[in-house]
Amino acid sequence: MRHPKRKGRPFLPGRKVRLATAAMLLAATTLAACGDDGKDDGGKASAPKAPATIPELTKDPLTLSFIWFEWPPAQALEDFANAEYKKERPNVTVKVNTVPNANWHDAMFTQFAARKTDFDIAILDSQHIGEAVTNGNILDITDFVKGNIDVNAYNPYLLAAYGQFPQAETGKRDENASLYGLPLLGDTWTMIYRKDLIGDKPPQTWDEMISVADKCQKDNPGVSGLAFHQANGSDAAAVTYNTVNGVYGGNLWDSKTRKIDGVLNDAAGQEAMDVLVNKMKPLTATGSGNWFIDEVNAAVAQGKACIAFNWIAASGGLLDPKQSTLGTTREQILGKLGFATLPSQKTNLVPLGGMGMHVSAYSAAANQAEALNFMKWFEQADIQKKWAAAGGVPSRTDAIESPEFLNAGPFNKVYADSVSRMRDMWNVPEYARLVDIENTNVNAALNGAKSPKEALDDIAKEQQGVLDSSSRKGGDGL
Amino acid sequence: MASATPPAQGRSPRLSDRGLAVAFISPALLLLLAMSVFPLLWALYLSFTDYSATRGGPARWVGFGNYTAILASAQVHQRALTTLLYVVGAVGLQTVLGFSIAYLISRRTRGRGLLTTVFLVPMMLSPVVVGLFWRFMLDAQFGVVNSMLGSLGIGPVEWLTRQRTALVSLIVVDTWQWTPFIMLIALAGLTAVPKYLYEAASIDRASEWFRFRTITLPLVWPLLLIAVLFRAIEAFRLFDLVYILTNGGPGVSTETLSFHVYKVAFLGFNTGTASAYGILMVLVVIVLTQLYLRYLNKLKED
Repeated sequence: MRHPKRKGRPFLPGRKVRLATAAMLLAATTLAACGDDGKDDGGKASAPKAPATIPELTKDPLTLSFIWFEWPPAQALEDFANAEYKKERPNVTVKVNTVPNANWHDAMFTQFAARKTDFDIAILDSQHIGEAVTNGNILDITDFVKGNIDVNAYNPYLLAAYGQFPQAETGKRDENASLYGLPLLGDTWTMIYRKDLIGDKPPQTWDEMISVADKCQKDNPGVSGLAFHQANGSDAAAVTYNTVNGVYGGNLWDSKTRKIDGVLNDAAGQEAMDVLVNKMKPLTATGSGNWFIDEVNAAVAQGKACIAFNWIAASGGLLDPKQSTLGTTREQILGKLGFATLPSQKTNLVPLGGMGMHVSAYSAAANQAEALNFMKWFEQADIQKKWAAAGGVPSRTDAIESPEFLNAGPFNKVYADSVSRMRDMWNVPEYARLVDIENTNVNAALNGAKSPKEALDDIAKEQQGVLDSSSRKGGDGL
Repeated sequence: MASATPPAQGRSPRLSDRGLAVAFISPALLLLLAMSVFPLLWALYLSFTDYSATRGGPARWVGFGNYTAILASAQVHQRALTTLLYVVGAVGLQTVLGFSIAYLISRRTRGRGLLTTVFLVPMMLSPVVVGLFWRFMLDAQFGVVNSMLGSLGIGPVEWLTRQRTALVSLIVVDTWQWTPFIMLIALAGLTAVPKYLYEAASIDRASEWFRFRTITLPLVWPLLLIAVLFRAIEAFRLFDLVYILTNGGPGVSTETLSFHVYKVAFLGFNTGTASAYGILMVLVVIVLTQLYLRYLNKLKED
């Protein structure tokens, strides 16, 4: 039996035509994907400007979204804002989205890269500002600040650290520089010490602190002399080295000449690395080479460390009897734990922590207006005091000196006394790579994978390579 | 007389067999084009530029600059060595253990199904979950591993923070999770060996070792090599366990190539360099797989 002859294929074009169609389709898709390039150019120039006055706010329900990393102040901010800001703007709900600390930078900047964010206010580390400003990811709020914020109410360096770009000199603010953010949470390191083991008076110098920790460790088997950040993620080990570097009179770089090699690894820098690796590290617990905020807090709460260093904003949990073996009440714990400013040595510098609020350039206009309104509201004197009472660390001088803040926690006075001593890292677009280089090398030195000198020289050389790489043709990021 | 069945009504010319086939496969084809082919070609294009996803602006053509920089980079060489050590260590250990377990299970007649199921459990867990609980178990201060060693009088070992032990820890954890995969494939091979071969060998009074060497191993070997190939490709692009367990540390001593690509791509958003790095990794896998498959084909022909 013969099958009926199939009809021809009049509607199917020839092989060449089909190939050409596929190639055209691919080319069209590629062109469509490249179509945004024109828009991207704006990002290269500078950040877009926020209006000098707050535009009319919507009366419709609106969710104002923040992005931060997961830690107690994030929940405190959401609770505080929904309790207080709603009194002024009942139609607004504040949502603080959090990610693990290690993913914080990626979570913000991958959205910035997509030119679309699911947050309206990015809570950036001070060192992220350079990258965000250069890429045009956040609004320039200089004009807005002039008309809406009482800049004289702040310590100039705090205002500069959380908002100014290019970076201010340590301790100063350049009034002609642009501002891209306002302070949300101030922070620095506190020294946490066991009063029942080393006495009520905290060590005053770094050398004395090491000596006291050494004696305490010998006198108390099972308790390590020191606990501090050593992990190679986030900025953990880097902040530790930078702190010791500052205390021993070192510098991270010469910001004017953008020189790191020869500055970071000078004699003071070498001494700081030697102190950290050869004097401090032997006083830490076995296996503490990957410790960060939580692990240090756990060691203190379990009574396993004589002296520890941690961020003030992360220290609240230490006084919770449910999380501590040092006492069944807050008073009992405070009978054993003391909080003090960092010991000084050749200088009295302390690390600047904390973060500012920055408006996403890709947020909807109504949300940007709400974000500006929130920032204006948040920076008022009475709100800053309420924020302090709610567990926040304010930046306005009147709030820092207020009883609401000073009485809210035993470590708050430490912050107040440390403000004039703060020093920040590099606030440049290359920050993420600079801090990774420092983190991995300091972590290597702390864990015996590199000698202190080798690690410090590698940091200086590699970081200098990053700053000098703009002239390279290909291979950026290596 | 049966009445002649009228011929089916002819299809519209638009619905010819070929047209129908095209209509059916085109959604999948378009999806593949959009989700796989286009991103690959786009990454290939970006790999010849200095494009950065966050910096924006037009991509500057740098020719083979990214490729030469990667191939000449001491950092990349170090990560390649770490990855090689990891792949050889993990896949080697998994092959020996997986095959041994499969061989032992295959000799049992009772409880074989239950044993196989129990052994497969680790493979079904997410690597992130595996990484997290092994991180607790290997913790130098309160981990159960050091606690057990302590009860034997052995001092605490810094599993995750020392250069020598960190890579070993990664290999051990990966082996714990993926040995069942090798075991499963080896078990399939062992079960397929014809019984009459063993019966014939028994009649000839062949020793256990002789039977293993001349019957079992040669027949299971090709299947085992395929399992090794799959595992080696997987191990070559290891990221999750490193991220959770060591974060590449101490220093960068457990940073694998994939982990390094992640850092290049997302810490500095050097998209062009990261694209070239990714393309090179794909090329390495393709070339090695081709060589391996040729060996396998040769083995079959022999």
